[in-house]
Amino acid sequence: MPKKFKIKVVLVGNPNTGKSTLFNALTGVRQHVGNWPGKTVEKKEGILEYKGRTIKIIDLPGTYSLTAYTEEEAITARFINGTKPNVVVQIIDAQNLERNLFMTVQLIESGAPLILAINMLDLTQKENIQIDTKKLSILLGIPVVPISAKQKKGIENLMQTIVGYFENPPTSFLKLKYGTKIESETKKRYDLVKNLSKEVLSSPTLQGDNTSDKIDKILLNKFLGIPIFLVITWLMFQATFKLSKPLINWIETLFALLAKESFLILDKIGALKWTQSLIVDGIIGGVGGVLVFIPIIGTLFLLIALLEDSGYMARIAYLMDNFMQKLGLHGKAFIPLIIGFGCNVPGIMATRTLATKRDRLLTILINPFISCGARLPVYALFAGAFFSSYQGLIVFSMYLLGIFIAILAGLIFKKILLKTTSSPFVIELPPYRYPALQGILLHAWGKIWLFIKKAGTIILAFSIIIWLMSSLPVGVDYGSNKSLAGKMGEIASPIFEPLGFGNWESSVALLFGLAGKEIIVSTFGTLYGVNIENTQSVSQALKDNFTPLSAYAFMVFVSLYVPCLPTIAIIKRELNSWKWAIFVIFYTTAVAWIMAFIVYQGGSLLGFN
Amino acid sequence: MKKLLLSQLKQGIRAEILKVDCGKNFTGRLCDLGLFEGTNVTIVKNDHFGPLILKILNSKIALGRGEAAKIYAKEI
Repeated sequence: MPKKFKIKVVLVGNPNTGKSTLFNALTGVRQHVGNWPGKTVEKKEGILEYKGRTIKIIDLPGTYSLTAYTEEEAITARFINGTKPNVVVQIIDAQNLERNLFMTVQLIESGAPLILAINMLDLTQKENIQIDTKKLSILLGIPVVPISAKQKKGIENLMQTIVGYFENPPTSFLKLKYGTKIESETKKRYDLVKNLSKEVLSSPTLQGDNTSDKIDKILLNKFLGIPIFLVITWLMFQATFKLSKPLINWIETLFALLAKESFLILDKIGALKWTQSLIVDGIIGGVGGVLVFIPIIGTLFLLIALLEDSGYMARIAYLMDNFMQKLGLHGKAFIPLIIGFGCNVPGIMATRTLATKRDRLLTILINPFISCGARLPVYALFAGAFFSSYQGLIVFSMYLLGIFIAILAGLIFKKILLKTTSSPFVIELPPYRYPALQGILLHAWGKIWLFIKKAGTIILAFSIIIWLMSSLPVGVDYGSNKSLAGKMGEIASPIFEPLGFGNWESSVALLFGLAGKEIIVSTFGTLYGVNIENTQSVSQALKDNFTPLSAYAFMVFVSLYVPCLPTIAIIKRELNSWKWAIFVIFYTTAVAWIMAFIVYQGGSLLGFN
Repeated sequence: MKKLLLSQLKQGIRAEILKVDCGKNFTGRLCDLGLFEGTNVTIVKNDHFGPLILKILNSKIALGRGEAAKIYAKEI
């Protein structure tokens, strides 16, 4: 084939084999993540140059076999058989050789142009298990390349094998030697795999407990398991807030400086007052107020990636299964809820791992009540202003409220809407591994980038809209109740009167909070005409308009009402239905109103005012 | 050897699968993981409370009790 031809390589393998790490090692930043047409399954493609050749790599979803149990497996099977790639690279996890070989055998049977890449050999060596890769290659009749994706070893060798295979494809494929007994197809494959492993593994496959088993004896202990999990969660949140504080302060200072300098520069060049206001109040103020807590969301995502890549996330699903069953779900549905604490958007996307539509729907419906990172600035602002010595406790109570309502909603939905039983629970508990730093960073970066895009587009657009509505009609005092924003707020405010915050600024803030709940903070700043970096003055302005009780009711409302527009958009996409997205808008707002009502009226009756 | 349900088997023993009575889809999924008639598994954890943990083809898999109660196996 002439050198200018692109070699099409497809990457397949079981989940938890380090396939993503290999893909990233091969393609670096030259990758593109999209969706398979018409599906919610991710499609990752990348390009790399090697010895003058262009190689296109397509990363197929992690699958256990070519039989289509899940949407991802259907796509994998269809793609390999339909598109006829030049080379199929199956990445195999040395620590789970036998089960991985199960799929190898299926691939060979299907006639795929296969190369095996064995990953994590260093880890098996630590457990004193040797794998004879050369023998495996001879027995299977295909090239076998040892690699360590994490340490980027063997990549060169792999590339060479791929190109070599492409330039000199084998003319015949070895026929696998199955036994002669009359058995089912799968049993034949099973026996073949068992025999293969006997030939290539240095020690008998049945050993005592390996390291992961020993760790699981503690982490999955009947009595210690859940307490340990709660401690780990608590540590995660502590780490998030403590680690991000210095970064947040740094960003706040940066934006305050930016605002000041821009103001001066615009003054100097004689810019119009409204341009000045647009840039300083509208854009810098609005966007800055949001970017200020990227550190929190980023740290949370990093820690979640750490949980996933180390293998502990699967254990969490195991520990939470009993509890989730009571909600009519199973352990795996807990994971999207955990991710929801960072941001509801990736949390809802994570429901793709659930096998049935019913499970996905139920998990998505309760997800918005989980307090995402965007609500934290609102909690922090109000708790700081009204409950200074108890602020930690107040903020914590907000998180608990979200969890409590999510559980309640789950129970109700289970009874009313979805009468069918939950799908069966099965999950692989991969061996514990030290996550690759680069892997976690890339993993988390993907989600952080999604968030920044949200900030960049929707929030910027809304910041400008807020600014516009606060500045018009022309000549009005910025953010006064005579501006468009103010008029809108005054129309809406009676709805919130019974909740204790019937002032027009609150209505406007809540409305603009639809773009992202963090905007509620910057909106208050804008409307009270104060510099939002100067939290003292915002707190003072709030104290003039709220009482501690109405502040708490406000927080309750913010915590529970409509999730931000990006979340609604993702709900629509994942469930493929506007009906459910609109339902979520109405039912979450109704719940929020009722809860805030109970808090305010109940609290007033008890004399908390 | 007595024919028992997977969910009844004691921790630590090795068992041969006799029959899998889960729904068609799920039976297929278990097949992909190496659990089907004629194969062997080890019961790693069964505290009669949460899901079972099995070693199938030397990989650790957690399986819900409800499903484990639909699988017949015998100790070997």
